[in-house]
Parts: sequence; structure tokens; C-alpha cells
Amino acid sequence: MEFLTDNIAPIMFGSLIFFLLSGFPVAFSLAANGILFALIGHELGLLDWVLLQAIPERIYGIMQNDTLLAIPFFTFMGIILQRSGMAEDLLESAGQLFGGVAGGLGYAVILVGALLAATTGVVAASVISMGLISLPVMMRYRYHYPTAAGLLTGAGSLAQIIPPSLVLIVLADVLSVSVKDAYTGALFPALMVVGFLLLYMFVLSILKPEMVPPLPEDARTLKGSELYISVLTAMLPPIVLIFLVLGTIFIGWATPTEGGAMGAVGALLLAIARRRLTWEVVKGALDSTTKLSTFVMFILVGSSIFALSFRAVNGDIWIEHLFSFIPGGELGFVLFVSLLVFVLGFFIDFFEIAFILMPLIGPVAVSMDINMIWFLVLVGLNMSMSFLTPPFGFALFYLRSVAPKQDYQDEVTGGLVHGMKTQDIYKGAIPFILIMLLSLSLVIIFPEIVTYNLDAPLDVDLDTIEIQLDGGGDGSDDPWGSEASDPWAN
Amino acid sequence: MNALLKFSDMIDGLNGLVGRYVKWLILAAVLVSAGNATSRYILNIASNAMLELQWYLFAAVFTLAAGYVLKVNEHVRIDVMSQRMSPRTRNWIDFWGFLLFVLPVTLYITLQSIPNLIETYQNQEVSANAGGLLRWPVRLMIPVGFGLLFIQALSELIKRWAYLKGLIEDPLAKGGHATVDMDDQKESV
Repeated sequence: MEFLTDNIAPIMFGSLIFFLLSGFPVAFSLAANGILFALIGHELGLLDWVLLQAIPERIYGIMQNDTLLAIPFFTFMGIILQRSGMAEDLLESAGQLFGGVAGGLGYAVILVGALLAATTGVVAASVISMGLISLPVMMRYRYHYPTAAGLLTGAGSLAQIIPPSLVLIVLADVLSVSVKDAYTGALFPALMVVGFLLLYMFVLSILKPEMVPPLPEDARTLKGSELYISVLTAMLPPIVLIFLVLGTIFIGWATPTEGGAMGAVGALLLAIARRRLTWEVVKGALDSTTKLSTFVMFILVGSSIFALSFRAVNGDIWIEHLFSFIPGGELGFVLFVSLLVFVLGFFIDFFEIAFILMPLIGPVAVSMDINMIWFLVLVGLNMSMSFLTPPFGFALFYLRSVAPKQDYQDEVTGGLVHGMKTQDIYKGAIPFILIMLLSLSLVIIFPEIVTYNLDAPLDVDLDTIEIQLDGGGDGSDDPWGSEASDPWAN
Repeated sequence: MNALLKFSDMIDGLNGLVGRYVKWLILAAVLVSAGNATSRYILNIASNAMLELQWYLFAAVFTLAAGYVLKVNEHVRIDVMSQRMSPRTRNWIDFWGFLLFVLPVTLYITLQSIPNLIETYQNQEVSANAGGLLRWPVRLMIPVGFGLLFIQALSELIKRWAYLKGLIEDPLAKGGHATVDMDDQKESV
């Protein structure tokens, strides 16, 4: 009994892991453990189960969270955009523009990946649309298969780290920093990754041009002014969308959430203009969005119920104590967290990492006086990297789902094209993982890459000061209780 | 058992219906939110009611759709270990999980949220923001949403049991993953 009392926080944590690994839904596993250990804690005299009465108030607090409204907005926008065929146009004209040089299709994929990432930032949408359009062309003209696969997954994963990514929004929310700061901080590191990708392509085109051959003359149908007009027309929609979702935030017209809504409206208008919008498409997109945002919000509900009890049994102190064993101070902590996020990223999606892990380690980082924006960007980079890492990387799964497995007769050249093996996809990711690793190391060594832009005094924006999920309170100090609009405080 | 399965069908039907209509509120939230930003900077009109309406709408979606999302098995699971288990084991885990945890917890939250709702309604509680909205409609979402989740958990419990008795196909054969649905694209390959 005494053993139980002394070790209740680690036991609670272990029990959560047991529930999660059993395959029981994440949201319910969290809530179940929260309630179970509130009752156990009550029996042991560690807490009063009256604590549980705070649950409806916490749910109400989550309902009021404006920042997380961005989740349905960006998800909906991503799906509509994918259906609108914008990516096809972009890849088509960028491919024609760069196609003549060795590595040209590679540049096209990287730049289009960056543009797609800057409009909506849903990795699945980027990898799948680019895979459907560019992969057949690359395979037809004998690109080195692993390189082609790596390009698509690498460029697709940019969606995680280039603003306005959902990863950044959710991390900003759980780490209690403003979304705008998170965007600003992530901007340079993200551009740096894009630069490294382009550089890698350039080096490859010089050292091993046979791996990244140019398009043959007859495949480049657009010439001269016709080509430039097609490039400009294709560039217009993403530029307008980037203005709607990012520009409006930086010039202060809209909150990050409203930026998402404006982008979604923009995507709808684009799809209408291109006559791609059907009733079925809208219904399907709304249905997918409802499912995704509901399970995400319920993970948050579950995690706040878990946090309620976990805090009450001093789990937060236990976690902080655990981290104090890591040698190397701040650097040791950051490296450990990076490794943890990277490894967890193989098995679970970023929503779970953000809502389960971050509320636990965020306060530790705060107590170590670590710059939270820098910390956030590091976590984001780690998540992108684990998205790319075989055998479980999500980006690799998305590409596998659209890459032809069987040999097939090409319709343009009539030649036989070999199918793409899963091995190719795994092997191709390696150089791109190394590029991510290099970027990550640079951000760790030179935090200025992130903080350079942030040196100005923080812009106090009323829309971003809101009650954040801080991993819970002890019931009497309910973080949502103080909300002015909430008559149920205390 | 047959009567129970019929009951489960009825619940599935109800939550399916909720899912079919409630998703439109997302589109409404998108339009309201984009409209807020536009009207604030072009017309210089800001309305607290409209600002609150956007989270009212989304709150309604994710609370009311929770049962529907459970019905289609889209509450995400971590399947590293469970994919190696037999379908029977997975159904047993769900069975006990729903019985021992989900049913009591959702029932507790449903009941626990009602007193607040009644008080808010009786006092005609209004948001503290100028021109803000009445509070009881959004408070109502908690008991209704968790009530729908409770009955869906009941329906799932019946289906797990029926599967374990060999009466129906594996209800867990589909879903359980976090994916943005791009299915029609996949088919075109």
C-alpha cells in the first residue's frame, strides 16, 4: 500500500502507456486513467475525488479555445486545395520551367512542396498530390528511384515546419506561446531546410547527373512566352492563398485562426473557378474534417482529465525530478527531448505527442529558462524528421499509397516502367533525413536562427493571449476558471 | 441478443444522422471566421457575438460528432502492438474498456454538467463581452454530446459482444487511424 502511495505518479504513467499500447482509443485511454487514478488517489487519501467535478468546466474551457479552431480550418482547406488541382498546375509549369536541366524536376518538386506547405501544411495532401503528378514523370524519364521517392517525401514533409503548419499551431497552444511568434521563429529554419534541399539537388546534378536526368526535348511542350505565362498563372493562386493565411496575420489583419478560415474560403473560390468543386467534394471534405478535428479535440479533453489527476498526485514534480537526472543541463535536456520526440514520432501521430508529451515536458523547459519558441521549433523539426524515417514514417506511407508497385506500360513513351519497391522509398529518405538532421543541429548550435527575428519586444496581441492548456491544474487553481466570460469560476 | 442488436442499430442510425448534418457547421464556422476578419478591416465593424459564434459552432461540431466518430471507429488508436493481436483480443479490449471506463465516465460527465446548464439557463447567463451571446446553448452541448457518446459506447459494447458471440462481422475491421481522407485519389492510380 505504501509502495502504491509513494509511486503513484510513475504507476499512473505506466498504466497510461499500457492502455495506449493495448490499442484502446487514445482519448478514452487518457480519460480512463485520469478517472481511475482520481479514485485510487482518493482511496489512498492523496486527493479528494471532488476534483472530478471540475471536468465539465475543463471541457467548457477547451470549447472556448479559439486557437484550436485552426485545426478544422486548415484541414478543410488542405482537402479542398488538393481537390482543386492547384498542385498539378504548379508542378506542370515548374517542371517545364526547370525540366531542361539535370535535377530540374527535383527543383520543381522542392519549390512546389514549399509553396504547398506555405498554403496549408497538411503532409498527406502534399505527398499524395505531388506523388500522383510528379512520380510518373520522374519514373518515365528514368530518375533514380530512391532519389525520386526521397524528393517527394522530403519536400512533402516541409508542410510540418513551414508556417502555417498545424504542428506549429498546436505546439504553440500547448507550450503557451503565441502562434505568430511560432510562425516567425520557424520561418528562417524552414527556409534553411528548403535551401539545403535545393543545394543537395544541385550537388547531385553535378556529381551524378545520370540519377537526375533532364526532360527530353519533346517532353517540354511549352516554350518562350507561353511558358512564362503558364508559370505566372500557376503561381497566382498559391501566392494569393499565402497572403490570405500568412500575410494577413503578419500585417495584423487577422488572427492565425481567421487566417485559416480565409485560406479555406480562398481554396473554395479557387476550386469553384476551376470547376472542380462538386457537392460531393464539399461533403467529403467536411466529413473528413469533422472526424479529424473531433478525435483531436477529444484527445485534448482526455489529456486534460488525465492532467487533472496526474497533477493532483504530484506527477508534474515526479517528471521534473526525472529530468533532473539528465546530465548536460539545457543541452542535455534538449538532446534528450529531441531523441524522445523523434522516436515517439515513429509510432504515434504528432497530435498525441503534442497533447500527451508536451504538457509534461513543457513546464520543465520553462523552469530551465529555455527559450520556448526555440524549443518549439526544435520539436517541430524533430517531428518532420520522424515523418521521414523508415520504417514507420508517415510521409513514406503516404507515398507508398500512391506509388505504382507493379511494372507498367508507360502511355507516353510506350516503354516498360518498373514498379517502385518499398525499399526504394526507404533508401531514398536517408539523404533527406540527414539534411533534416543537419538543419536540426544548426538550430541547436545557433539558436539565433530562430530567435533572430524575435528580439523585438513581444507583440502583445489580444487574440493570442488566451487561456492555454498548461497540462492541468490542481482543481482549485483551474487554469480555465479565471476566464472572464466564465461565471463558474471557483 | 437480437433486440439488443436492433437497439444498437437504432443508436448507430441516430449518431449517423447527427454526423451527416453537424459537419455543415464547420463550413458555417469557416464563413463566420473569414467574415469577421474581413468586416473588421474593410468595414471596420467588429461583433463580439460573431467572434463567439465561431467557437460555438466548432464546439458544437466536436461535442455532437463524438458519438458519430466513435461509430465509424475514427477515434485514433495506437496500433503498434494491437495490430499483432487477433481480432478477438482487440474486441475483448474494447469490450472491457467501454464497459469499465467509457460508459461510467461519459455518464458521469453528462450528469455532472447538467446542474451548470440549468443554472445558466435560469439566470439567462450572457457572455461578459459586450454584445456577447447567451451561454446556455453552448453549455447544452456538453450533456448532449456526452450523452450521444454514452449511447454510442453502449451500442459499441453490444457490437463487440455480438462479435465475440460470433453473431456479426468484426466491427473493428475499419478505421482507427489518423488519415486525411484522400481515397478517391488513391483509386485513380
